[in-house]
Amino acid sequence: MVGDLQIMEAGTEKMAKKGKFSKRSSKSNKKLKPLGGAVKKAKKPSKKMIKLFRKRARAYNSDEDEEETAPDAMQSLHEDSSDDGSEGYNGSDDEKEGDRYGTHRGITRFTEGCRAFRTAFLNIMKKNLQNDPLGPILSANRKLVAEKLAEEGIEQKAKAEAKKDKHLAAKTGHVTPASFLDTKEKLLISVATKGVVKLFNAVNKAQSSQNGLNPSNSKDAKALAKQRKATFLSDIKKSTERNLENAKVHHMNKANDDEPAWAPLRDSYMLTSSKLKDWDKMEVNSFHHCF
Amino acid sequence: MARLRNIKRRMQMKVPVVRKQPTVDHVTGDKIPKSFVFSRGKLPGSLKQLELDFRKLMMPHTALRLKEKKRNNLKDFLDVAGPMGVTHFLLLSKPKSLPHLRVARTPHGPTLTFEIPEYALAADVARAQTRPRCPQGLFTKSPLIVLSGFGSGGQHLKLTTIMFQNIFPAIDIYTVKLSSCQRIVLLNYNSDTKLIDFRHYSIRLQPVGVTRRIRKFVHNHKVPDLRSLQDVSDFVTKAGYGSESEADEESAIVSLSTDLSRVNRAPTKSAIKLQEIGPRLTLKLVKIEEGLCSGGVIFSEYGQENSQTEATEDKKATTEGKNEANEETKDDDGEEDD
Repeated sequence: MVGDLQIMEAGTEKMAKKGKFSKRSSKSNKKLKPLGGAVKKAKKPSKKMIKLFRKRARAYNSDEDEEETAPDAMQSLHEDSSDDGSEGYNGSDDEKEGDRYGTHRGITRFTEGCRAFRTAFLNIMKKNLQNDPLGPILSANRKLVAEKLAEEGIEQKAKAEAKKDKHLAAKTGHVTPASFLDTKEKLLISVATKGVVKLFNAVNKAQSSQNGLNPSNSKDAKALAKQRKATFLSDIKKSTERNLENAKVHHMNKANDDEPAWAPLRDSYMLTSSKLKDWDKMEVNSFHHCF
Repeated sequence: MARLRNIKRRMQMKVPVVRKQPTVDHVTGDKIPKSFVFSRGKLPGSLKQLELDFRKLMMPHTALRLKEKKRNNLKDFLDVAGPMGVTHFLLLSKPKSLPHLRVARTPHGPTLTFEIPEYALAADVARAQTRPRCPQGLFTKSPLIVLSGFGSGGQHLKLTTIMFQNIFPAIDIYTVKLSSCQRIVLLNYNSDTKLIDFRHYSIRLQPVGVTRRIRKFVHNHKVPDLRSLQDVSDFVTKAGYGSESEADEESAIVSLSTDLSRVNRAPTKSAIKLQEIGPRLTLKLVKIEEGLCSGGVIFSEYGQENSQTEATEDKKATTEGKNEANEETKDDDGEEDD
């Protein structure tokens, strides 16, 4: 029984998968038979049933559920009648045997349908395809598909370009140094070295005078503080003199400009920030290099 | 109940102890400048890396792992900056044209805006070197700063120098330890191109008048390979090869008054060697604003906001009288603004 079923389904071009399914289902059916309604049925199926079979055969659209149910019903039928009958209905092997039993016309039709489908399918598969870039397209509107594909291509290109642009924009200004020490870098290093040497010499000079004096020792710390105070005062004197000169020059300029003495009457009032008024006159209070 | 109590106790234990960084130098008593480096807007990957490099450069008085969120605005940072004693902001941004760096003084400004026409990351610089150097404790002390070529320019350059001088703590010559001077930041202004070269170097001292072999021997504590030599004395006397002939420039030699390290002792002379750490930047001063990223424009390179330059342009227009010439100048301006 099972073998027959499998052969029949080979005719429907879907052997591999569905063979297994039908196997399982047939086994289960055998167990269920005594309980099912198949026992009660007469040798000839009633008109109603035949109608049902035909309907099923017509509706056969490679749908699994229906495929399972249809053969199941047939099995029950043929087992009731005879063993020969079961052989007869598998039209893929022998059609004429199926025709012998006129009552099973619906079933034979079903197998015929299978054959028709098979031949049609084989015909299609036999066709030699031209080497088309689009590949095998069954539909008539080849043009439409081609257009769609072309559109997609354009879209993708645009997207890729946008991505590239974005990537480039992100990289603007990023330069990886090719040669580590070119002339410009050497020059810059020499400038920096000069600055460091200046600082180190100044520090050495300042700290050599306090050599032997330990700032953590209180006595020495006092002596150091005195020294620093003296130098600081001398520095301040210098700076104040310079400031005085600056002020004089400034005063002269003002006199020439004939500007009013009261600030709000001047043209420049409120234009310059009070916080930043003297930033250009500020002295560099710490050791920094400018050259 | 008991469990609840335990949980409560554990919760209390977990409160982290925040150690406050000193805002004042304990030796000199100067206020230590601190900085935040962060970005405005979304940055591409390489600029994010540059931001991290900048943070490392500004070490140790900076927030190395400052967390920024998209919704953080300038005011948020400003609110935090006050109690933390942060004095400077470095803002990186990437508008559609070139990346920008803004250096601002908190809380009232001024703000300097620089374009970055070119930059190289610290990683790029290290990759270009055969032997990149990063000794331990390189970033534990703030760098020195050298400004060069700024004296010639106008007021805006002076403001720039002051800004950059104050971004790092001042050095007191009397108390500073030379061994703590390990890095240097160089800003070199080129008056022809109006570009500022920004470089970051590590400082290394080498004793002068000692052959390379002995220097390495003393430094590394490794047993030297004497197979090729006839006598032990050869190791000391025989001159090496190659780089040893590379004489130390006299300008780079310093005589030491105090011991710097095990190798550089007091009475000897040492040569100063600089090696680049990175990042490497080319900056162009574009704008100076009075406030923190706002306020009146003190200086503008492209002269749109600056009233003085506008006035001069108007004068030009009246004197020339030709429409074509005017259009040309306008076109030029537009290109520059882009």
